[in-house]
Amino acid sequence: MSSDLSVNHVDDRSLACASKEPCGPPTCVDNSFARSHLAALNPPRSLPPVPKPHALSLAEQSSHTPQSTLLPATVLYRTASMSSSAAQAQLKQLKPLYQHVVNNFVAVFAAPLVVAALVNAARVGPEELLVRVQALRAVHVFLIAFVPAAAATLYLMLRPRSVYLVDYACFRTRPNCRVPFATFLEHAKLVTFVEGASIDERSVRFMTRLLERSGLGEETCLPPAHHYIPPYRNMEASRAEVEVVIFSAIDDLLAKTGISASSIDILIVNCSLFAPIPSFTDMIIHRYKMRKDIRNVHLSGMGCSAGLISVGLARNFLQVAPRGARALVVSTETITPNYYVGKERAMLLPNCLFRMGGAAVLLSTSRANARFRLARVVRTLTGAQDSAYRCVFQEEDAEGHRGINLNKDLMTIAGDALKANITAIGPLVLPASEQLLFALSFIARRVLNRRVKPYLPDFRTAFEHFCIHAGGRAVIDELQRSLGLSDEDVEASRMALHRFGNTSSSSVWYELAYIEAKGRMRKGDRVWMIGFGSGFKCNSAAWECIAPPRSAEGPWEESICRYPVDIPEPSQVRAHEIDPSIDLYLGLTSACGAVRPRPDRWLCAGRAGLTHGHLHTYSRSSRGPLHRRIVYLCLFTLSFVYYPFVPAAPLIIHFCIRLKANEMYYCELNPSLHIALYYLY
Amino acid sequence: MELLPLLTALLLAHAAACVAWMAVSRRRRSRCYLLDYACHKPSDDRKVTTETAGAVIERNKRLGLGEYRFLLKVIVNSGIGEHTYCPRNVLEGREEMPTHVDALEEMDDFFSDAVAAVLRRTGVAPRDVDVVVLNVGSFSPSPSLVSRIVRRFGMREDVAAYNLSGMGCSAGLVAVDLARNIMLNRPRTMALVVTSESCAPNWYTGTDKSMMLGNCLFRSGGAAALLTNDPAFRCRAKMELRCLVRANIAAHDDAHAAAVHREDADGRLGVSLSKALPKAAVRAFTDNLQRLAPRILPAGELARFAARLLLRKLFFRRKQQVLPASGPKINFKTGVDHFCLHPGGTAVIEAVKKSLGLTAHDVEPARMTLHRWGNTSASSLWYVLNYMEAKRRLKRGDRVLMVTFGSGFKCNSCYWEVVRDLDDAGAWEDCIDDYPPETLVNPYMDKFGWVNDVQGQGGGFVF
Repeated sequence: MSSDLSVNHVDDRSLACASKEPCGPPTCVDNSFARSHLAALNPPRSLPPVPKPHALSLAEQSSHTPQSTLLPATVLYRTASMSSSAAQAQLKQLKPLYQHVVNNFVAVFAAPLVVAALVNAARVGPEELLVRVQALRAVHVFLIAFVPAAAATLYLMLRPRSVYLVDYACFRTRPNCRVPFATFLEHAKLVTFVEGASIDERSVRFMTRLLERSGLGEETCLPPAHHYIPPYRNMEASRAEVEVVIFSAIDDLLAKTGISASSIDILIVNCSLFAPIPSFTDMIIHRYKMRKDIRNVHLSGMGCSAGLISVGLARNFLQVAPRGARALVVSTETITPNYYVGKERAMLLPNCLFRMGGAAVLLSTSRANARFRLARVVRTLTGAQDSAYRCVFQEEDAEGHRGINLNKDLMTIAGDALKANITAIGPLVLPASEQLLFALSFIARRVLNRRVKPYLPDFRTAFEHFCIHAGGRAVIDELQRSLGLSDEDVEASRMALHRFGNTSSSSVWYELAYIEAKGRMRKGDRVWMIGFGSGFKCNSAAWECIAPPRSAEGPWEESICRYPVDIPEPSQVRAHEIDPSIDLYLGLTSACGAVRPRPDRWLCAGRAGLTHGHLHTYSRSSRGPLHRRIVYLCLFTLSFVYYPFVPAAPLIIHFCIRLKANEMYYCELNPSLHIALYYLY
Repeated sequence: MELLPLLTALLLAHAAACVAWMAVSRRRRSRCYLLDYACHKPSDDRKVTTETAGAVIERNKRLGLGEYRFLLKVIVNSGIGEHTYCPRNVLEGREEMPTHVDALEEMDDFFSDAVAAVLRRTGVAPRDVDVVVLNVGSFSPSPSLVSRIVRRFGMREDVAAYNLSGMGCSAGLVAVDLARNIMLNRPRTMALVVTSESCAPNWYTGTDKSMMLGNCLFRSGGAAALLTNDPAFRCRAKMELRCLVRANIAAHDDAHAAAVHREDADGRLGVSLSKALPKAAVRAFTDNLQRLAPRILPAGELARFAARLLLRKLFFRRKQQVLPASGPKINFKTGVDHFCLHPGGTAVIEAVKKSLGLTAHDVEPARMTLHRWGNTSASSLWYVLNYMEAKRRLKRGDRVLMVTFGSGFKCNSCYWEVVRDLDDAGAWEDCIDDYPPETLVNPYMDKFGWVNDVQGQGGGFVF
């Protein structure tokens, strides 16, 4: 671990220096780049401080000759690390090789056999082979050809039908519903004067601090009924919100996919806290004049993770419906009736976090025009434990105001639910190499009586994109920590929280839209959606991309150019001075602080003699696959020139080929490669 | 070389056997058995007698003479008896301000009675349950009620739990449909279907007549059923599901607005039942039967119907006459032995009886259920079934048709075949001998009939 730190550390310094080079000002508008740039200029506090002159001198060296770029890495590497960690580092470098071998085990195993067979055939000679072929009888031919064909056909016929996502649409929030912090708080202050509301000045102060830490931005939206004083919470206003949200999302979806509403066979809606009669499904059928034999289900009370439950249910229905059937899944949360006007702190939290949102998803069993394939849906419900059941709990406070009580143990319980869920989904999605390691560590733990740390599988080998339910800052932080994800991986969640707030079950779809709006989705990419919700549930779904989006429109259309934004870390000291009880809730909203800038990977490229200018043009040119390939080729050539070390070449070639869509990949791999190559050299 | 042909033959035989086995197992998996069910019987102190109902009505100071007369008329004609149950908060006089806890307690009573009973009677451990489907029409707390069941009985982490709400009185069969669909994808699945309605938070205290109807009709109740597709349970099962048809005519404006949750002019929440409801029910029922009939009726009856229809059309066309309203009718009794109708109210039962051409004997279970338990919404079906069972009407091979109506507007129906002779009295145990009673008239008219004699229309008239 320490070696890792030191490497990152060096990266940081040298980027800081590299950025001072006159390499052309970054004229870019690419935010991710600008952010990483800024982040590099302000190294995180957690890293050990290094004397600045030293770093500068290193940077000077690095900017002079290519050869000397290796120096700082090794110098620091050697000084900072112990021998044991060196061994660990070496193990880490061996890991890609190990993964490659294990994941392509069949190929690795079959290749020598094929070679042996070919050699054997060559030795026998063509005449002899011909004679052997002629000696075959009908029975043999039958056995060889018919039986495997029959088996294959049977398998294809009997396997469960795949379910595809044709398209999805998220509700686009409207500017007139926007609630900046100031508006929200002013409104809350005015509500304190309303008869019947027991919310008071202290509660408003508390909400102020919560909002500061929540990770929410200034553009989140609340339904129109909440803009009144007092907020309307009646049936009529709630229905109005539902109609605005779900109808506009469905309108978008139908326009996008060009299908008529009457061709939909299955309709599933989930909304947790509002279940009127007639249900949402009936409202949708009424509005779009859908068929009479449509199968409709309204799921309620299933919390924020219900979006994935609906998807799983739609899959169940689709798999037994006639081929080509279509299912419309609508996920939303109606917050109009749920404005809490009491002063119980744990119940004020949802007021600050939950915002308007909804998504409509069209699933089908036909692959035509499909954009994603649903690979897995795994659900876990840990409600059997009392603490988990009570962790998100709707109840009345002492004064009779109904609200949702978020327990302080939420993070622990979410962690347990997540553990149960990844134990279930892991074996289904992880590559063989990770599974083998996990199994070995499991056996070791059993044999050695739990002295070995359990191996945490690296889910980044199984998925390219992560859509973690934007439940709050702490949830995202906790998941990032426990799954070992990078800031890049959780960026979509943080940004969705910032732009739209916690939109409950639809938040994962906003995150998917973010990833697509950023142009990161490529064919073959795998996406993992994880939802958490009351109950306590943790559900996850794995998708595989078939086609990237055809158009850029979506909920992020107007704001994507401003994202990602840097989410500031609130000054916690002030909070403590004002009110010690805020401690209790820090765990919920700001446990680990802001988006921690990771020592950036651009840097390695900087060390390799590539300036920011290069990388900038590179990152901008990474739109088309051809451009990308050319850039990869250049990068590859450059690194090859650096290390005129022939045995390592196949390795580099391998990585350059495996780069796939992720433009960062090269740079990410490089530090370890540098060191490995240096040693070899 | 004798061996090779032999081997080939063996392989082929094996392949054929495999295919046959797969087909059989697939067919078996598509079966759906009703293992057992239990209806909730609330404790006796929750009974609504004439006096209690009078007290509850009297308590509401908003009601005037006009409303009293209306209520009396509705209750007298409702077909509801003296032994229905209502939630505790109404008995304790807190119907105006129900709390969240009241609603949860009502549900807890039901869980610990019916759900526990069905698990106990079948000997299925809660950890063996793979799917739980719960539907409660108008109460959806967070965490869901289905999570509450999972917590109460300690079910597995990977249990597939679904909580349906707002689907109205016909949701009982929606839940069955959902469970059956999941079973089609999973072999050897045990599904628990829990159906109830929460009355505690939904008592209407205003004066809108269309919304006061609900208070007169809806009563506490609930049922839990265990469904399975495991062939091992076939001999223990009670019935087998043959087909299930759902119809939803929400696209039609009047039908959609037939039953709506809304606020009245004073902002009091309630379910308003419109006058268009019976019409919507008939329309939905027709749509449902159109798809159901070909699946359940014998070919002979269908051919007879088609021939008569054709003849009639030809006949009338020749004479250039307008078709009369009543055409030839399908005789559903050719394919169905028992009709398990949703006891939504006497009017609904009468309408179905008339349109299907049923006898008083056929609709007796529904009427008796309405009299004994009231309209328990989605769960009422199971009370009706239980009545038939308690009367020992269900014999092996009998076919049962269940029909439900609900807001939306929906009409769902399903068709069961009885697997063995049934004689379990269940919730009806202590009162089955009293049914059918000599008269279904309730004593409200005797006690409150004087309301009709009092002069004046009076708002503000107080006892």
